[in-house]
Amino acid sequence: MRKVADVRTPALARAVAWALMLLGAAVVTGCASDAELDTFAPKGPIARELHTWGVLPVFWIAAVVFVGITIAMVWLIWRHRVRSYEGDDEWPAQTHGHVPLEVGWTVGFLVTMAGVAVIMVLSLPTVDATEVNTVDVIVDDHSVEWEPTVVVVGNQWWWEFRYYFSDQVDLADLRAHGDAKTLPPADIVTSGQMMIPIGEEIELIITSRDVIHSFWIPALNGKRDAVPNRFSPWKIEASEPGFYFGQCTEFCGLSHSRMRMQVVALSPADFQSWVDDTTQDAVEPTDPDALAGLEVFSGICTSCHVIEGVNDDVFESADQASGAAPNLTHFANRSTFAGGIFNIYNADGSLNRVQLEAWLRNPGDLKANYTVPGEQYRGMPDLDLSEQQIDDLVAYLSGLGKRPAGWIIDATQVE
Amino acid sequence: MAITEKTPLELGPGDTARYAERPLGVFTRPQGGRGWRDWLSTVDHKRIGILYGASAMFFFLVGGVEALLIRLQLAAPEGSVLSADVYNQVYTMHGVTMVFLFIMPLAAAFANYFIPLQIGARDVAFPRLNALSYWIWLSGAIFLNTSWIVGGGGADCGWFCYSTNSGVAFSPSHGVDFYAIGLQILGIASLVSSINLIVTCLNMRAPGMTLMRMPVLTWMLLITQFLLLFALPVITVALFLLMFDRLFDAQFFNPDAGADPLLWQHLFWIFGHPEVYIIILPAFGVVSEIIPTFSRKPLFGYEFMVFSGIAIGFMGWGVWAHHMFVSGIGPISVAAFSLSTMFIAVPTGVKVLNWLATMWAGKLRFTVAMKFAVATVAMFTIGGLSGVTHSVAPADTQQTDTYYIVAHFHYVIFGGGVLGLFAGLYFWWPKVWGHFLNERLGNWNFWIMLVGFNLTFGPMHILGLQGMSRRIDTYARGYGFEFWNMAATVGSLLLAVSVMVFIWNVVKSKRDAPHLPPPGPDPWDARSLEWSIPSPVPTHNFDTVPVVHSRDEWWHTKYAEDDDGRVVRVATVEEAAQTGEATGVHLPSPSFWPLAVAVGLPLIGYGLIFNLWLALIGALVTIGSLYSWALEPVDDPDAAHDHHEEDQEAQEADDDGDEP
Repeated sequence: MRKVADVRTPALARAVAWALMLLGAAVVTGCASDAELDTFAPKGPIARELHTWGVLPVFWIAAVVFVGITIAMVWLIWRHRVRSYEGDDEWPAQTHGHVPLEVGWTVGFLVTMAGVAVIMVLSLPTVDATEVNTVDVIVDDHSVEWEPTVVVVGNQWWWEFRYYFSDQVDLADLRAHGDAKTLPPADIVTSGQMMIPIGEEIELIITSRDVIHSFWIPALNGKRDAVPNRFSPWKIEASEPGFYFGQCTEFCGLSHSRMRMQVVALSPADFQSWVDDTTQDAVEPTDPDALAGLEVFSGICTSCHVIEGVNDDVFESADQASGAAPNLTHFANRSTFAGGIFNIYNADGSLNRVQLEAWLRNPGDLKANYTVPGEQYRGMPDLDLSEQQIDDLVAYLSGLGKRPAGWIIDATQVE
Repeated sequence: MAITEKTPLELGPGDTARYAERPLGVFTRPQGGRGWRDWLSTVDHKRIGILYGASAMFFFLVGGVEALLIRLQLAAPEGSVLSADVYNQVYTMHGVTMVFLFIMPLAAAFANYFIPLQIGARDVAFPRLNALSYWIWLSGAIFLNTSWIVGGGGADCGWFCYSTNSGVAFSPSHGVDFYAIGLQILGIASLVSSINLIVTCLNMRAPGMTLMRMPVLTWMLLITQFLLLFALPVITVALFLLMFDRLFDAQFFNPDAGADPLLWQHLFWIFGHPEVYIIILPAFGVVSEIIPTFSRKPLFGYEFMVFSGIAIGFMGWGVWAHHMFVSGIGPISVAAFSLSTMFIAVPTGVKVLNWLATMWAGKLRFTVAMKFAVATVAMFTIGGLSGVTHSVAPADTQQTDTYYIVAHFHYVIFGGGVLGLFAGLYFWWPKVWGHFLNERLGNWNFWIMLVGFNLTFGPMHILGLQGMSRRIDTYARGYGFEFWNMAATVGSLLLAVSVMVFIWNVVKSKRDAPHLPPPGPDPWDARSLEWSIPSPVPTHNFDTVPVVHSRDEWWHTKYAEDDDGRVVRVATVEEAAQTGEATGVHLPSPSFWPLAVAVGLPLIGYGLIFNLWLALIGALVTIGSLYSWALEPVDDPDAAHDHHEEDQEAQEADDDGDEP
């Protein structure tokens, strides 16, 4: 054999080994961060059970196999490496194989994977099985036994959440209906932020009006795709009041990265008071600026947006590929806008006027969209509003609905 | 054509090439030679292999630049290197380029070059079809990339191009049209080549080369060709539907017209998952040649290795819906595909342990090729095991469509596939070019690539588990993504450096070659038939077609085991190797028609998108060229070659295979 291979790089090799080891150490420690989307930091009971019984056991199995194979490989390399080719032309024993050994590790892998299969089968119900529960909610002075269900609708690039209290819908109803663009009227239609009561399993019925999206709140459960005109069941549950972040996880076009959402878990009393606030129609403003804003809204914004009490009786569909735009009836009751990416309020509780105005000036500057005149819009176009119109609209919109609680504003502060 | 004849044929005296006029042809019949024009008409499997390899490396650079743009964009939060629109095009074209224009053709290069050599054949079964598949592949590759210039940008729907996002309403540029048509053209190339190589493996083996004596590389490439043969029709159907949807409002995927967007996902992944094995199995084959050679032991458990490869090939068809665990398919489907996915880990795990057992008690010589091969096993093991972690469908609901998956499949495709093929480049470089790649630069190439690779894709595991979604063009501060994204970007720059080192190595090795001793036929003391002939390989491959007596035929020609099981040399390389000096071997005649056929296809593509008249012209070019090809004799009657009565019958039988 020629000596072409007799090139040693011990210093380099040692540096590499150290780099890899440090990387490994960093990998281990890096997992312990408290990022808001961290899948290893489950906060709700479903996510916790999924993590403990579905994710961790198979990670451990994989880790053990990995460590075993790596040790074997490193040992083999260390033990059987030819250190000097000089005068070493010996051939080792020519082993062609060892059938019992090979059958042995085939069976070994089979048994290991059977173990993994058991983990899978046992943890399937964690994400799939639904329990029947009811929450007493008072809607328009009537007590309703609400089977907690939220219809989740993906749109480019925002999420709509629909609550049905008086005429409750279930999965079968919506599958029979079959069309996500003409859903039955709901008691509450909101977007970006989903309010749920704590301690209850919430059924989600997930669909889309345009392309495929994926709804994912890592702290509460895994994800489920939103497929146009298909209705897929999912569930989430939070045990503590809090703010849980999500991000669309199925590629959905230009602003996929800026399609976010939050789940806000509220105590039963807070949830009831949110229902009280948001089942009301919008109230006509008294402030002259806001009145002027209503004027602007009625002239321009109503081709896409609905405000109940303003244009819900005449509205058919939005001038958008999805046929919908966020319902703004209780705009100021939320703490984020534009697909969960901007704060409506500053950390000190004041209105985030700068951001709202910038958005109204030209949304496309802040969030990629497709608004070529003459073609179907996807996202909010530049409306060419004057500064006066923008001020009036901000005055109007910021008066729509009750300001959320301080801790919600505080917890939001996205970006 | 008779390319397996046992006795070399004599060329008559005065065999100067004449360029005969063809009454029905546009081109004079090319006669073969060494100028650039001869590369256009070549039907030599080795030249076609080199063409595949060189073009693949070019597109590796293209895809690599796209990868660097992605990494620069994501290096820090709120990146502004690319707009969202351009980012989507770049990441789509990165995936498409790396899969269809880099790894697949690089594997095709190995298949074209080494299958005939490893089975002791003079060429593939259908040499002109072989040329056709390369030219069609190249025309498809060029077509696909011209969408940057004439299509209003690259496709922006991801390489998976899910409906409904692939519709005109959601992707109004022509990028997706170029994707749909370009991949169909590339698919024709792969289909043609798969049939050709399957026939080659099954019919062209040297006497005594039974299937269970075939080198494992050839075995894995054969399995790959079967996967291609069955997988490509599925994606072709899907692409055809997509093309009709976009160009002619066919409504196959429009949910408002009653269609189900999940149909595309099923079609795509029935192709897309076997595609993973199409990418990885050739690398498995390469590793299975290199590890025995540098361990100085035969491959441990040849039968297990072959059958586990076959098992992977079969089971690869039953796992596609694990890409769709969260798409809303029912729990039974989820459970079934979750189970099948887990059990495909068994034959893969067997392979890993058999490689380790091959190294066990061996005498390991860590040449650069061996380093790459062992790294392939190690890195693929990580990718395989991270795959096991999300084969558990409920767990996958947390991991799918996050960077954890990006990390996983890069460990499989780059760590397994690309490192494996780089091992092959260093291993077979002397065989193909007649000089070594510089080992010192190779060491730099290897270590920088290994570190860069792990630094790029290792952190993506963490990012995914921290909740970073795939395919996002930017991310906000505060999610804890900053550090590891920066690390990954630094890693990707290291990868770029390692590729530069490789290119420098190619240049420098060529420049230094005249001053260094030539490698000779068998520089690594290797095991299979390609090492029994000179380096570089003569045009006719084998002076005499070898007769095979055992697995690792070439090794057994050099060595035997005595009664105590000790290895003793029975012949030196110089004694045993062929000299390559045979003359007058009858070889298939070159032809320009494969190239002409291939030129027509992109014209059809542009025509479908921009102007149907152009499509008509393209169709005429292609059909006319096919017609002329059919009229062109397999062997050029005017080319000087001599009597070969004894082979006449066999030759005619072979001709039937090539010409309808």
